Amino acid sequence: MNEYTVFHTMAWPSAYAIYFFVIGISSALFFFSALSWFREDYRPLRENAFYASFVLLAVGGLLLIGDLSQPGRFLNILNPAYLNFQSPLAWGGLNLISFGLVAVLYFFMMRKGDEVNGKRLAIIGSLLALGLPIYTGFDLTVHQHRPVWNTPLMPVLFVGLSLVSGAAVASFLTKGSEAANSAMRRMMLWSGGAVGAMLISLLGTTAYGGVGAELTFMFLTSGTLGLIFIGLGIIAGTAVPIVLLLAPLGRQQVGMMTASVLILVGGMALRYSILYGGQILQTYY
Amino acid sequence: MTQELLMSSTETRGRPGVRRYAMVIDVRRCIGCMACQVACKAEYDVPLGVFRTWVPYRVTGKYPTVKKQFLPRLCNHCDDPPCVRACPVEATYKLEDGGFVLQHYDRCIGCKACMASCPYNARFMLPEHRTYTDITKVVDKCTFCYHRVIQGLVPACVQTCVGRSRIFGDINDPNSEVSQLVARHATQVLRPEQGTKPHVFYIGADRSLTDYGRAVYHKDEQADIERAAFNRNKHI
Ligand code: SF4
Ligand code: SF4
Repeated sequence: MNEYTVFHTMAWPSAYAIYFFVIGISSALFFFSALSWFREDYRPLRENAFYASFVLLAVGGLLLIGDLSQPGRFLNILNPAYLNFQSPLAWGGLNLISFGLVAVLYFFMMRKGDEVNGKRLAIIGSLLALGLPIYTGFDLTVHQHRPVWNTPLMPVLFVGLSLVSGAAVASFLTKGSEAANSAMRRMMLWSGGAVGAMLISLLGTTAYGGVGAELTFMFLTSGTLGLIFIGLGIIAGTAVPIVLLLAPLGRQQVGMMTASVLILVGGMALRYSILYGGQILQTYY
Repeated sequence: MTQELLMSSTETRGRPGVRRYAMVIDVRRCIGCMACQVACKAEYDVPLGVFRTWVPYRVTGKYPTVKKQFLPRLCNHCDDPPCVRACPVEATYKLEDGGFVLQHYDRCIGCKACMASCPYNARFMLPEHRTYTDITKVVDKCTFCYHRVIQGLVPACVQTCVGRSRIFGDINDPNSEVSQLVARHATQVLRPEQGTKPHVFYIGADRSLTDYGRAVYHKDEQADIERAAFNRNKHI
Protein backbone atom coordinates (compact mmCIF):
# COMPACT_ATOMS: atom_id res chain seq x y z
CA MET A 1 0.00 0.00 0.00
CA ASN A 2 1.21 3.45 -0.77
CA GLU A 3 2.21 5.91 1.90
CA TYR A 4 0.63 8.56 -0.23
CA THR A 5 -2.00 8.19 -2.88
CA VAL A 6 -5.16 9.96 -3.91
CA PHE A 7 -8.48 8.31 -3.15
CA HIS A 8 -10.61 6.85 -5.91
CA THR A 9 -14.36 6.52 -5.83
CA MET A 10 -16.35 3.50 -6.94
CA ALA A 11 -17.87 3.90 -10.36
CA TRP A 12 -21.14 2.16 -9.61
CA PRO A 13 -22.74 2.85 -6.24
CA SER A 14 -25.54 0.98 -4.48
CA ALA A 15 -28.26 2.49 -6.71
CA TYR A 16 -27.07 0.03 -9.36
CA ALA A 17 -27.57 -2.91 -7.00
CA ILE A 18 -31.14 -1.76 -6.34
CA TYR A 19 -31.64 -1.41 -10.07
CA PHE A 20 -30.35 -4.95 -10.69
CA PHE A 21 -32.69 -6.21 -7.97
CA VAL A 22 -35.78 -4.39 -9.20
CA ILE A 23 -35.28 -5.10 -12.88
CA GLY A 24 -34.56 -8.78 -12.22
CA ILE A 25 -37.83 -9.13 -10.32
CA SER A 26 -39.70 -7.20 -13.00
CA SER A 27 -38.50 -9.48 -15.78
CA ALA A 28 -39.28 -12.69 -13.84
CA LEU A 29 -42.77 -11.44 -12.97
CA PHE A 30 -43.47 -10.73 -16.62
CA PHE A 31 -42.26 -14.22 -17.45
CA PHE A 32 -44.66 -15.76 -14.90
CA SER A 33 -47.54 -13.69 -16.25
CA ALA A 34 -46.63 -14.83 -19.76
CA LEU A 35 -46.45 -18.48 -18.66
CA SER A 36 -50.07 -18.22 -17.55
CA TRP A 37 -51.15 -18.33 -21.22
CA PHE A 38 -49.61 -21.77 -21.50
CA ARG A 39 -49.92 -23.29 -18.02
CA GLU A 40 -53.04 -23.35 -15.93
CA ASP A 41 -51.22 -23.32 -12.57
CA TYR A 42 -49.78 -19.89 -13.38
CA ARG A 43 -53.20 -18.43 -14.29
CA PRO A 44 -53.84 -16.62 -10.97
CA LEU A 45 -50.59 -14.71 -11.53
CA ARG A 46 -51.39 -13.28 -14.95
CA GLU A 47 -52.73 -9.84 -14.00
CA ASN A 48 -51.10 -9.35 -10.59
CA ALA A 49 -47.63 -10.40 -11.72
CA PHE A 50 -47.88 -8.24 -14.81
CA TYR A 51 -48.92 -5.10 -12.91
CA ALA A 52 -46.15 -5.60 -10.35
CA SER A 53 -43.69 -6.20 -13.18
CA PHE A 54 -44.71 -3.01 -14.94
CA VAL A 55 -44.46 -0.89 -11.80
CA LEU A 56 -41.01 -2.31 -11.07
CA LEU A 57 -39.94 -1.69 -14.67
CA ALA A 58 -40.90 1.96 -14.27
CA VAL A 59 -39.10 2.16 -10.92
CA GLY A 60 -36.02 0.47 -12.42
CA GLY A 61 -36.00 2.82 -15.42
CA LEU A 62 -36.23 5.84 -13.13
CA LEU A 63 -33.45 4.50 -10.92
CA LEU A 64 -31.24 3.98 -13.92
CA ILE A 65 -31.91 7.42 -15.33
CA GLY A 66 -31.62 9.00 -11.89
CA ASP A 67 -28.18 7.50 -11.41
CA LEU A 68 -26.83 9.15 -14.57
CA SER A 69 -24.98 12.33 -13.79
CA GLN A 70 -26.75 13.81 -16.82
CA PRO A 71 -30.24 12.31 -16.57
CA GLY A 72 -31.56 14.71 -19.22
CA ARG A 73 -29.28 13.07 -21.77
CA PHE A 74 -30.59 9.54 -21.33
CA LEU A 75 -32.13 9.75 -24.80
CA ASN A 76 -28.58 9.82 -26.22
CA ILE A 77 -28.63 6.09 -25.68
CA LEU A 78 -31.34 5.81 -28.35
CA ASN A 79 -29.59 8.05 -30.84
CA PRO A 80 -28.46 5.79 -33.70
CA ALA A 81 -25.67 8.21 -34.54
CA TYR A 82 -24.18 7.71 -31.07
CA LEU A 83 -24.91 4.06 -30.30
CA ASN A 84 -21.91 1.89 -29.62
CA PHE A 85 -22.88 -1.76 -29.93
CA GLN A 86 -19.69 -2.90 -28.26
CA SER A 87 -21.18 -1.65 -25.00
CA PRO A 88 -23.69 -3.87 -23.17
CA LEU A 89 -25.29 -0.68 -21.86
CA ALA A 90 -26.35 0.22 -25.39
CA TRP A 91 -27.97 -3.20 -25.83
CA GLY A 92 -29.51 -2.87 -22.38
CA GLY A 93 -31.06 0.49 -23.19
CA LEU A 94 -32.64 -0.91 -26.35
CA ASN A 95 -33.75 -4.04 -24.50
CA LEU A 96 -35.40 -1.98 -21.75
CA ILE A 97 -37.27 0.26 -24.15
CA SER A 98 -38.48 -2.58 -26.36
CA PHE A 99 -39.52 -4.60 -23.30
CA GLY A 100 -41.49 -1.58 -22.05
CA LEU A 101 -43.25 -1.21 -25.41
CA VAL A 102 -44.11 -4.91 -25.63
CA ALA A 103 -45.36 -4.80 -22.03
CA VAL A 104 -47.77 -1.98 -22.93
CA LEU A 105 -49.13 -3.95 -25.91
CA TYR A 106 -49.33 -7.06 -23.75
CA PHE A 107 -51.40 -5.11 -21.24
CA PHE A 108 -54.02 -4.29 -23.88
CA MET A 109 -54.18 -7.89 -25.13
CA MET A 110 -54.46 -9.13 -21.56
CA ARG A 111 -57.34 -6.76 -20.87
CA LYS A 112 -59.04 -7.78 -24.11
CA GLY A 113 -58.43 -11.44 -23.36
CA ASP A 114 -57.06 -11.84 -26.90
CA GLU A 115 -55.66 -15.38 -26.71
CA VAL A 116 -53.71 -15.37 -30.00
CA ASN A 117 -52.00 -11.99 -29.71
CA GLY A 118 -51.66 -12.38 -25.95
CA LYS A 119 -49.66 -15.55 -26.47
CA ARG A 120 -47.53 -13.98 -29.17
CA LEU A 121 -46.70 -10.97 -27.02
CA ALA A 122 -46.13 -13.25 -24.04
CA ILE A 123 -43.40 -15.07 -25.99
CA ILE A 124 -41.79 -11.91 -27.38
CA GLY A 125 -42.02 -10.17 -24.00
CA SER A 126 -40.53 -13.18 -22.21
CA LEU A 127 -37.53 -13.23 -24.53
CA LEU A 128 -37.01 -9.51 -23.97
CA ALA A 129 -37.51 -10.01 -20.23
CA LEU A 130 -34.86 -12.73 -20.29
CA GLY A 131 -32.55 -10.20 -21.94
CA LEU A 132 -32.70 -7.88 -18.94
CA PRO A 133 -30.87 -10.02 -16.36
CA ILE A 134 -28.57 -11.26 -19.12
CA TYR A 135 -27.52 -7.75 -20.11
CA THR A 136 -27.09 -6.68 -16.48
CA GLY A 137 -24.79 -9.67 -16.06
CA PHE A 138 -22.86 -8.65 -19.16
CA ASP A 139 -22.62 -5.11 -17.79
CA LEU A 140 -20.33 -6.57 -15.16
CA THR A 141 -18.71 -9.40 -17.10
CA VAL A 142 -17.20 -7.22 -19.81
CA HIS A 143 -14.85 -5.43 -17.41
CA GLN A 144 -11.92 -7.74 -17.92
CA HIS A 145 -9.89 -6.52 -14.97
CA ARG A 146 -12.60 -6.94 -12.32
CA PRO A 147 -12.39 -10.08 -10.23
CA VAL A 148 -15.78 -11.73 -9.57
CA TRP A 149 -17.42 -9.73 -12.35
CA ASN A 150 -15.32 -11.06 -15.22
CA THR A 151 -16.62 -14.62 -15.27
CA PRO A 152 -18.99 -16.29 -17.74
CA LEU A 153 -21.21 -17.00 -14.73
CA MET A 154 -22.49 -13.47 -14.30
CA PRO A 155 -25.26 -13.39 -16.96
CA VAL A 156 -26.47 -16.87 -15.92
CA LEU A 157 -26.26 -16.01 -12.22
CA PHE A 158 -28.35 -12.90 -12.83
CA VAL A 159 -30.97 -14.96 -14.65
CA GLY A 160 -31.08 -17.35 -11.68
CA LEU A 161 -31.28 -14.47 -9.21
CA SER A 162 -34.02 -12.89 -11.28
CA LEU A 163 -36.12 -16.08 -11.25
CA VAL A 164 -35.68 -16.79 -7.55
CA SER A 165 -36.37 -13.20 -6.43
CA GLY A 166 -39.27 -12.92 -8.91
CA ALA A 167 -40.81 -16.15 -7.60
CA ALA A 168 -40.44 -14.83 -4.04
CA VAL A 169 -42.44 -11.71 -4.95
CA ALA A 170 -44.92 -13.73 -7.01
CA SER A 171 -45.62 -16.00 -4.06
CA PHE A 172 -47.36 -13.01 -2.46
CA LEU A 173 -49.48 -12.46 -5.56
CA THR A 174 -51.02 -15.90 -6.05
CA LYS A 175 -54.37 -14.96 -4.49
CA GLY A 176 -54.05 -18.04 -2.29
CA SER A 177 -54.19 -20.48 -5.22
CA GLU A 178 -52.75 -23.86 -4.21
CA ALA A 179 -51.49 -24.64 -7.71
CA ALA A 180 -49.76 -21.27 -8.17
CA ASN A 181 -48.25 -21.47 -4.70
CA SER A 182 -46.79 -24.84 -5.41
CA ALA A 183 -45.47 -23.65 -8.81
CA MET A 184 -43.75 -20.72 -7.07
CA ARG A 185 -42.35 -23.01 -4.41
CA ARG A 186 -40.85 -25.24 -7.09
CA MET A 187 -39.51 -22.22 -8.94
CA MET A 188 -37.85 -20.89 -5.77
CA LEU A 189 -36.35 -24.29 -5.05
CA TRP A 190 -34.92 -24.90 -8.51
CA SER A 191 -33.67 -21.41 -9.21
CA GLY A 192 -32.47 -21.00 -5.61
CA GLY A 193 -30.57 -24.28 -5.96
CA ALA A 194 -29.03 -23.11 -9.24
CA VAL A 195 -28.00 -19.79 -7.66
CA GLY A 196 -26.45 -21.71 -4.73
CA ALA A 197 -24.47 -23.94 -7.09
CA MET A 198 -23.26 -20.93 -9.09
CA LEU A 199 -22.21 -19.10 -5.92
CA ILE A 200 -20.13 -22.08 -4.86
CA SER A 201 -18.30 -22.12 -8.18
CA LEU A 202 -17.92 -18.35 -8.03
CA LEU A 203 -16.35 -18.60 -4.59
CA GLY A 204 -14.07 -21.39 -5.78
CA THR A 205 -12.80 -19.62 -8.88
CA THR A 206 -12.37 -16.36 -6.99
CA ALA A 207 -10.47 -17.92 -4.09
CA TYR A 208 -8.11 -19.69 -6.46
CA GLY A 209 -7.78 -16.81 -8.93
CA GLY A 210 -4.94 -14.37 -9.45
CA VAL A 211 -3.82 -11.76 -6.94
CA GLY A 212 -6.77 -9.46 -7.60
CA ALA A 213 -9.29 -12.30 -7.36
CA GLU A 214 -7.73 -13.66 -4.22
CA LEU A 215 -7.77 -10.28 -2.49
CA THR A 216 -11.36 -9.71 -3.61
CA PHE A 217 -12.29 -13.10 -2.19
CA MET A 218 -10.88 -11.98 1.14
CA PHE A 219 -12.88 -8.74 1.02
CA LEU A 220 -16.04 -10.67 0.11
CA THR A 221 -15.67 -13.14 2.93
CA SER A 222 -14.57 -10.91 5.79
CA GLY A 223 -15.76 -7.80 7.60
CA THR A 224 -19.05 -6.08 6.81
CA LEU A 225 -19.11 -7.19 3.20
CA GLY A 226 -18.53 -10.77 4.33
CA LEU A 227 -21.52 -10.47 6.62
CA ILE A 228 -23.64 -9.23 3.73
CA PHE A 229 -22.35 -11.70 1.12
CA ILE A 230 -21.94 -14.85 3.16
CA GLY A 231 -24.30 -14.14 6.06
CA LEU A 232 -27.25 -12.51 4.34
CA GLY A 233 -26.72 -13.57 0.73
CA ILE A 234 -25.57 -17.17 0.89
CA ILE A 235 -26.69 -18.48 4.28
CA ALA A 236 -29.83 -16.51 5.22
CA GLY A 237 -30.90 -15.70 1.67
CA THR A 238 -30.14 -18.91 -0.23
CA ALA A 239 -29.38 -21.92 1.99
CA VAL A 240 -31.95 -21.32 4.75
CA PRO A 241 -34.91 -20.70 2.40
CA ILE A 242 -34.04 -23.85 0.41
CA VAL A 243 -33.98 -25.91 3.60
CA LEU A 244 -37.18 -24.24 4.76
CA LEU A 245 -38.96 -24.94 1.48
CA LEU A 246 -37.88 -28.57 1.56
CA ALA A 247 -39.16 -29.00 5.13
CA PRO A 248 -42.84 -29.77 5.75
CA LEU A 249 -43.28 -26.17 6.95
CA GLY A 250 -42.27 -24.97 3.50
CA ARG A 251 -45.49 -26.36 2.06
CA GLN A 252 -47.52 -24.17 4.33
CA GLN A 253 -48.30 -20.52 3.70
CA VAL A 254 -46.28 -19.24 6.64
CA GLY A 255 -43.18 -21.25 5.70
CA MET A 256 -43.33 -20.09 2.11
CA MET A 257 -43.80 -16.45 3.10
CA THR A 258 -40.80 -16.64 5.43
CA ALA A 259 -38.70 -18.26 2.71
CA SER A 260 -39.79 -15.57 0.22
CA VAL A 261 -38.81 -12.73 2.53
CA LEU A 262 -35.43 -14.35 3.19
CA ILE A 263 -34.88 -14.87 -0.54
CA LEU A 264 -35.59 -11.21 -1.22
CA VAL A 265 -33.20 -10.07 1.49
CA GLY A 266 -30.61 -12.48 0.12
CA GLY A 267 -31.18 -11.41 -3.49
CA MET A 268 -30.51 -7.79 -2.61
CA ALA A 269 -27.49 -8.71 -0.46
CA LEU A 270 -25.96 -10.82 -3.24
CA ARG A 271 -26.37 -8.18 -5.89
CA TYR A 272 -24.98 -5.51 -3.59
CA SER A 273 -21.96 -7.51 -2.52
CA ILE A 274 -21.13 -8.70 -6.04
CA LEU A 275 -21.38 -5.13 -7.31
CA TYR A 276 -19.20 -3.76 -4.50
CA GLY A 277 -16.88 -6.75 -4.28
CA GLY A 278 -15.69 -6.20 -7.83
CA GLN A 279 -14.85 -2.57 -7.16
CA ILE A 280 -13.21 -2.38 -3.72
CA LEU A 281 -9.73 -3.53 -4.55
CA GLN A 282 -9.18 -1.14 -7.40
CA THR A 283 -10.03 1.93 -5.37
CA TYR A 284 -6.72 1.38 -3.58
CA TYR A 285 -4.71 0.92 -6.76
CA MET B 1 6.75 -3.41 -31.90
CA THR B 2 5.62 -5.36 -34.81
CA GLN B 3 2.46 -5.47 -36.77
CA GLU B 4 1.72 -9.10 -35.88
CA LEU B 5 1.34 -8.20 -32.21
CA LEU B 6 -1.64 -5.97 -32.96
CA MET B 7 -4.69 -7.68 -31.58
CA SER B 8 -7.49 -5.32 -32.44
CA SER B 9 -8.28 -2.98 -35.27
CA THR B 10 -8.19 0.02 -32.93
CA GLU B 11 -4.49 -0.35 -32.25
CA THR B 12 -2.29 2.13 -34.05
CA ARG B 13 1.14 1.39 -32.65
CA GLY B 14 3.38 0.49 -35.52
CA ARG B 15 0.73 1.38 -38.07
CA PRO B 16 2.35 3.28 -40.93
CA GLY B 17 1.13 6.79 -41.66
CA VAL B 18 -0.31 7.60 -38.25
CA ARG B 19 1.22 9.03 -35.11
CA ARG B 20 0.97 7.19 -31.84
CA TYR B 21 1.89 9.44 -28.93
CA ALA B 22 3.31 7.91 -25.82
CA MET B 23 4.89 8.98 -22.56
CA VAL B 24 7.97 7.54 -20.95
CA ILE B 25 8.32 8.11 -17.21
CA ASP B 26 11.79 7.47 -15.92
CA VAL B 27 11.02 6.97 -12.25
CA ARG B 28 14.74 6.95 -11.42
CA ARG B 29 14.67 10.64 -12.16
CA CYS B 30 11.44 11.45 -10.34
CA ILE B 31 12.03 13.41 -7.12
CA GLY B 32 8.38 13.51 -6.11
CA CYS B 33 8.06 17.30 -6.34
CA MET B 34 4.47 16.91 -7.63
CA ALA B 35 5.00 19.81 -10.01
CA CYS B 36 3.30 17.75 -12.73
CA GLN B 37 0.24 17.34 -10.54
CA VAL B 38 0.11 21.08 -9.93
CA ALA B 39 0.73 21.97 -13.58
CA CYS B 40 -2.11 19.69 -14.62
CA LYS B 41 -4.45 21.19 -12.02
CA ALA B 42 -3.60 24.66 -13.35
CA GLU B 43 -3.89 23.71 -17.01
CA TYR B 44 -7.39 22.29 -16.66
CA ASP B 45 -8.89 23.82 -13.52
CA VAL B 46 -9.05 20.24 -12.21
CA PRO B 47 -11.42 20.39 -9.20
CA LEU B 48 -10.59 19.45 -5.62
CA GLY B 49 -10.58 15.74 -4.86
CA VAL B 50 -10.02 14.52 -8.42
CA PHE B 51 -6.84 14.22 -10.46
CA ARG B 52 -5.83 13.77 -14.07
CA THR B 53 -2.37 12.90 -12.90
CA TRP B 54 -1.12 12.05 -9.44
CA VAL B 55 2.12 10.87 -7.89
CA PRO B 56 1.68 8.20 -5.23
CA TYR B 57 4.71 7.01 -3.35
CA ARG B 58 5.83 4.25 -1.14
CA VAL B 59 8.75 4.03 1.23
CA THR B 60 10.65 0.79 0.76
CA GLY B 61 13.58 -0.77 2.54
CA LYS B 62 14.72 -0.66 6.14
CA TYR B 63 16.53 2.16 7.91
CA PRO B 64 19.15 3.28 6.99
CA THR B 65 18.69 1.97 3.44
CA VAL B 66 15.23 3.37 2.79
CA LYS B 67 13.98 4.76 -0.45
CA LYS B 68 10.92 6.69 -1.53
CA GLN B 69 9.52 5.11 -4.68
CA PHE B 70 7.37 7.40 -6.80
CA LEU B 71 5.05 6.30 -9.55
CA PRO B 72 3.49 9.19 -11.47
CA ARG B 73 0.11 8.08 -12.76
CA LEU B 74 -2.22 9.27 -15.50
CA CYS B 75 -4.44 7.88 -18.25
CA ASN B 76 -2.38 5.40 -20.23
CA HIS B 77 -4.02 6.33 -23.52
CA CYS B 78 -4.32 2.63 -24.13
CA ASP B 79 -3.96 1.37 -27.67
CA ASP B 80 -6.92 -0.96 -27.08
CA PRO B 81 -8.87 1.07 -24.53
CA PRO B 82 -11.64 -0.75 -22.65
CA CYS B 83 -13.21 2.60 -21.71
CA VAL B 84 -13.97 3.31 -25.38
CA ARG B 85 -15.56 -0.11 -25.74
CA ALA B 86 -17.68 0.41 -22.65
CA CYS B 87 -19.19 3.78 -23.51
CA PRO B 88 -22.74 3.24 -24.83
CA VAL B 89 -22.86 6.58 -26.69
CA GLU B 90 -19.31 6.91 -28.02
CA ALA B 91 -18.72 9.87 -25.74
CA THR B 92 -15.26 8.54 -25.19
CA TYR B 93 -13.27 7.78 -28.30
CA LYS B 94 -9.80 7.20 -29.58
CA LEU B 95 -8.22 9.44 -32.19
CA GLU B 96 -6.67 7.34 -34.90
CA ASP B 97 -3.93 9.84 -35.65
CA GLY B 98 -2.14 10.36 -32.35
CA GLY B 99 -3.82 7.67 -30.28
CA PHE B 100 -5.32 10.19 -27.83
CA VAL B 101 -8.29 8.83 -25.88
CA LEU B 102 -10.64 11.80 -25.54
CA GLN B 103 -14.10 12.79 -24.35
CA HIS B 104 -17.13 14.39 -26.02
CA TYR B 105 -18.25 16.28 -22.92
CA ASP B 106 -21.55 17.32 -24.48
CA ARG B 107 -22.48 13.74 -25.29
CA CYS B 108 -21.56 11.96 -22.04
CA ILE B 109 -24.62 10.79 -20.14
CA GLY B 110 -22.67 10.06 -16.96
CA CYS B 111 -23.32 6.32 -16.76
CA LYS B 112 -19.75 5.76 -15.46
CA ALA B 113 -19.30 2.57 -17.49
CA CYS B 114 -15.96 3.95 -18.65
CA MET B 115 -14.89 4.49 -15.04
CA ALA B 116 -15.84 0.92 -14.22
CA SER B 117 -13.92 -0.39 -17.21
CA CYS B 118 -10.64 1.50 -16.75
CA PRO B 119 -8.18 -0.72 -14.88
CA TYR B 120 -6.12 2.31 -13.83
CA ASN B 121 -8.58 4.63 -12.05
CA ALA B 122 -7.72 7.22 -14.66
CA ARG B 123 -11.28 8.53 -14.91
CA PHE B 124 -13.36 10.58 -12.54
CA MET B 125 -16.69 12.37 -12.38
CA LEU B 126 -16.52 16.14 -12.52
CA PRO B 127 -18.38 17.80 -9.65
CA GLU B 128 -21.39 20.04 -10.00
CA HIS B 129 -19.53 23.27 -9.29
CA ARG B 130 -16.26 24.43 -10.76
CA THR B 131 -14.51 27.73 -10.41
CA TYR B 132 -13.67 28.75 -13.96
CA THR B 133 -14.97 26.02 -16.22
CA ASP B 134 -18.54 25.17 -17.06
CA ILE B 135 -17.93 21.51 -17.96
CA THR B 136 -19.54 19.73 -15.00
CA LYS B 137 -21.13 16.40 -14.06
CA VAL B 138 -19.51 14.42 -16.86
CA VAL B 139 -16.59 12.05 -16.81
CA ASP B 140 -13.15 13.51 -17.34
CA LYS B 141 -9.58 12.28 -17.54
CA CYS B 142 -6.12 13.16 -18.84
CA THR B 143 -6.12 14.10 -22.53
CA PHE B 144 -2.35 13.86 -23.05
CA CYS B 145 -2.81 17.63 -23.42
CA TYR B 146 -4.27 17.18 -26.86
CA HIS B 147 -4.82 20.95 -27.24
CA ARG B 148 -1.13 21.62 -26.57
CA VAL B 149 0.26 18.72 -28.59
CA ILE B 150 -1.57 19.75 -31.77
CA GLN B 151 0.12 23.12 -31.42
CA GLY B 152 3.53 21.50 -31.25
CA LEU B 153 3.87 21.75 -27.47
CA VAL B 154 4.38 18.92 -24.99
CA PRO B 155 1.85 18.16 -22.24
CA ALA B 156 1.89 20.54 -19.26
CA CYS B 157 3.24 17.86 -16.90
CA VAL B 158 6.12 17.08 -19.27
CA GLN B 159 6.90 20.76 -19.73
CA THR B 160 7.11 21.32 -15.99
CA CYS B 161 8.91 18.15 -14.89
CA VAL B 162 12.09 19.40 -13.22
CA GLY B 163 13.81 16.03 -13.22
CA ARG B 164 12.97 15.45 -16.92
CA SER B 165 11.40 12.28 -15.72
CA ARG B 166 8.50 12.58 -18.13
CA ILE B 167 9.26 12.38 -21.85
CA PHE B 168 6.58 12.65 -24.52
CA GLY B 169 6.58 11.92 -28.22
CA ASP B 170 5.46 9.82 -31.18
CA ILE B 171 6.43 6.20 -30.63
CA ASN B 172 5.66 5.42 -34.27
CA ASP B 173 8.57 7.65 -35.20
CA PRO B 174 11.74 5.59 -34.69
CA ASN B 175 13.81 8.75 -34.20
CA SER B 176 11.70 10.19 -31.40
CA GLU B 177 13.12 10.26 -27.89
CA VAL B 178 10.33 8.02 -26.57
CA SER B 179 11.07 5.41 -29.26
CA GLN B 180 14.73 5.46 -28.41
CA LEU B 181 14.10 5.18 -24.69
CA VAL B 182 11.66 2.28 -25.10
CA ALA B 183 14.12 0.56 -27.45
CA ARG B 184 17.12 1.00 -25.16
CA HIS B 185 15.68 0.43 -21.72
CA ALA B 186 13.71 -2.23 -19.99
CA THR B 187 10.30 -0.64 -19.56
CA GLN B 188 7.19 -1.55 -17.62
CA VAL B 189 3.56 -0.75 -18.26
CA LEU B 190 0.81 -1.00 -15.67
CA ARG B 191 -1.21 -4.21 -15.61
CA PRO B 192 -0.09 -5.48 -19.03
CA GLU B 193 -2.14 -8.65 -18.51
CA GLN B 194 -5.32 -6.66 -19.10
CA GLY B 195 -4.53 -6.39 -22.81
CA THR B 196 -5.08 -2.65 -22.87
CA LYS B 197 -1.67 -1.86 -24.42
CA PRO B 198 -0.92 1.14 -22.20
CA HIS B 199 1.11 3.92 -23.77
CA VAL B 200 2.70 5.24 -20.62
CA PHE B 201 5.98 3.38 -20.23
CA TYR B 202 7.91 3.36 -16.98
CA ILE B 203 11.62 2.93 -16.57
CA GLY B 204 12.63 1.56 -13.18
CA ALA B 205 9.14 1.28 -11.69
CA ASP B 206 9.03 -0.61 -8.43
CA ARG B 207 6.81 -3.68 -8.34
CA SER B 208 5.46 -2.70 -4.97
CA LEU B 209 3.78 0.21 -6.73
CA THR B 210 2.79 -1.36 -10.03
CA ASP B 211 1.16 -4.53 -8.66
CA TYR B 212 -1.71 -5.19 -6.34
CA GLY B 213 -0.20 -6.13 -3.04
CA ARG B 214 -1.40 -7.87 0.05
CA ALA B 215 -0.66 -4.64 1.85
CA VAL B 216 -4.06 -3.49 0.62
CA TYR B 217 -5.17 -4.82 3.99
CA HIS B 218 -3.28 -2.03 5.68
CA LYS B 219 -5.47 0.45 3.95
CA ASP B 220 -4.80 4.12 3.92
CA GLU B 221 -7.27 5.30 6.56
CA GLN B 222 -6.90 8.90 5.49
CA ALA B 223 -7.85 8.10 1.90
CA ASP B 224 -10.97 6.35 3.21
CA ILE B 225 -11.92 9.31 5.39
CA GLU B 226 -11.44 11.70 2.48
CA ARG B 227 -13.44 9.49 0.16
CA ALA B 228 -16.31 9.26 2.62
CA ALA B 229 -16.34 13.06 3.02
CA PHE B 230 -16.22 13.52 -0.75
CA ASN B 231 -19.16 11.14 -1.27
CA ARG B 232 -21.12 12.76 1.54
CA ASN B 233 -20.89 16.10 -0.19
CA LYS B 234 -22.41 14.49 -3.27
CA HIS B 235 -19.48 15.49 -5.44
CA ILE B 236 -20.00 12.40 -7.55
S1 SF4 C 1 -6.00 4.34 -18.90
FE1 SF4 C 1 -8.17 4.02 -18.56
S2 SF4 C 1 -9.13 5.90 -19.30
FE2 SF4 C 1 -7.07 5.84 -20.15
S3 SF4 C 1 -7.33 4.89 -22.18
FE3 SF4 C 1 -6.77 3.26 -20.73
S4 SF4 C 1 -8.73 2.44 -20.07
FE4 SF4 C 1 -9.17 4.43 -21.00
S1 SF4 D 1 -19.85 8.20 -18.32
FE1 SF4 D 1 -19.91 9.29 -20.27
S2 SF4 D 1 -17.99 8.81 -21.29
FE2 SF4 D 1 -18.25 7.34 -19.62
S3 SF4 D 1 -19.24 5.56 -20.57
FE3 SF4 D 1 -20.89 6.83 -19.77
S4 SF4 D 1 -21.47 8.18 -21.45
FE4 SF4 D 1 -19.48 7.29 -21.98
